[in-house]
Amino acid sequence: MGIIDLDGLEVRLANRLILNGLTGELKGQAIGLLGPNGAGKSTLINTLLGFHLPSKGAVRVFGLDSHRDRAEIRSRVGYMPESDSFIGNMSGVRFVRYMAELAGMPPEVALERAHESLFYVGLGEVRYRKVSTYSLGMKQLVKLAQALAHGPRLLILDEPTNGLDPVARTRMIQLIKDIRKEGSIRLLISSHLLRDIDETCDEVLILKNGGIAGLCNIEEERRSNRSFVELETVGATERFSTSIEALGCECASFPGGRIKLVIPDHIEARDIYIIASDQGVQIRRMNQRRDSLEDIFLRAMDNRAERNGNGRLQAQL
Amino acid sequence: MAVYKRSYSAYAGTTTSAWTRILVLSRYALAEAWSSKITIGIFIFCMLPVLSSMLGIYLANNPLARELIGLRGNQNFTIGATFFLKILQGQCWLALILASWVAPRLISFDLSDNALPILLSHPISRVGYLLGKFIALFTCLSAVTWFPCLLLFAYQGYTSPTPWFAANLRIASGLLLGSIIWITLLAFLGLALSSWVKWRVVATGIIFAAVFVPAGVGAIVSAVLRTKWGLLLNLPFMMSNLWQRLLGAPESFNASFSIPTVAIAIMLSLCCVVCLGMLNKRIRAREVVRG
Repeated sequence: MGIIDLDGLEVRLANRLILNGLTGELKGQAIGLLGPNGAGKSTLINTLLGFHLPSKGAVRVFGLDSHRDRAEIRSRVGYMPESDSFIGNMSGVRFVRYMAELAGMPPEVALERAHESLFYVGLGEVRYRKVSTYSLGMKQLVKLAQALAHGPRLLILDEPTNGLDPVARTRMIQLIKDIRKEGSIRLLISSHLLRDIDETCDEVLILKNGGIAGLCNIEEERRSNRSFVELETVGATERFSTSIEALGCECASFPGGRIKLVIPDHIEARDIYIIASDQGVQIRRMNQRRDSLEDIFLRAMDNRAERNGNGRLQAQL
Repeated sequence: MAVYKRSYSAYAGTTTSAWTRILVLSRYALAEAWSSKITIGIFIFCMLPVLSSMLGIYLANNPLARELIGLRGNQNFTIGATFFLKILQGQCWLALILASWVAPRLISFDLSDNALPILLSHPISRVGYLLGKFIALFTCLSAVTWFPCLLLFAYQGYTSPTPWFAANLRIASGLLLGSIIWITLLAFLGLALSSWVKWRVVATGIIFAAVFVPAGVGAIVSAVLRTKWGLLLNLPFMMSNLWQRLLGAPESFNASFSIPTVAIAIMLSLCCVVCLGMLNKRIRAREVVRG
């Protein structure tokens, strides 16, 4: 059983089909939720929290039905909404304590955990200031603190880096990584920033027009895709290409000594340098890259997932 | 999780029961309401008539004290249904002032900062949220209505030289029931109107307007259609009628303008249902935009 089980989930809001037959099992430690605007990411999160009733199918969190057992789910989940959502008239520590008490913590414990979680996210020094006086980055952090205070089993972060400057974003990403590393919390991170998901998640669910465009383990997906290398060479390029192909690489040569090749897993860059040295070919530049999350995302968007390896290679070359 | 370690750890302790979380909302709402000095000022103002009534009861039951301050006769100090009706009416209208100030504080902060998604993402339902706020407002209003009224009733029962308490229990029940009906209506009205207006000052004005403007409309309806049923829009009139009947005090209105108690009950219930409808529409974690 996964953390989140989607079973033909269909959600209609105001007679519009928002989520259309989502089926899948999410079981990663940190699950990324990707998709363009209007893909249904926030609707899916709201459905997980029991805010929306599925019109067909079901979604289960920790095996609990999202609508019938919503109170139980909410007690196990920490939610950091995308938009500003706080009580500005309260101090940071009072706000986090309030949320922790609502989650079911006794008042004294809630106060203790509020202090701790505010220190944890880096707001310890400003915890007695009113939330309305916080900067945007601090407001994001206080939302994270309240989501963490009651010790949830699943942390849902909706666009956690929204509106943050580079320093604040780095800090937020580092916090998410730390939480993931600690291991007791599963994460569901919704974002339209591929880089955020790339840095923090090990599994990704890509939504498009309310349907699943892709669901994969990012690391496995990367491993399954071969390394793609661009070379700029000077010397006997044709012979060099033939030798590399003999190693098992797929290779394409271009004028000016440019060569593009796909290297199988067992071939190292060092092998290419050795051949070049043997044949007196100079390698002036070598760009090596594996499929990034962006490639995975774009492929999912273009429905290119079904294409076979050769087709993909030709498209890349 | 420890402050000095700055590391996260899961919570494995006990949790409170689901119903106590409603009281958490009430507790924080009450704290918010009473954090304002204006609330305390209004509360003190609301208690002034109670103190003067207490003095009146003392004088009514103490001929020596009346002699000392030079009052002759005791017909002005008869303590009965009419006396308590005046106290109840005074306290209930003062409760309107308190409600119009406190109710927006309970809801507007949550709405203006868009706190509902975060509040309702916790194990508390919309009904629980409203119940928590309702309890807070009801408690505030109780402190200036039925509670001091019953204290005065008990004081009169204690100080009266004649057996008064048992013979006037209807007054006590009338005070309690009349207050509860009024403050329940005020609480619903206050919360419903506050939920639709983000600015607290405007919400305060609208709560007053919701009580008095329909009364003017009702008067126009009655005059134009030559009917007494326009008075069903006149909340002050309906409540005064109801309070008189509950306390068994003589009716001060012309008999031709008398409205059946059932009609008043239906109208008040309708008001509450409309308020609940407004709250249901507004108190949501997420709004679904139609179209």
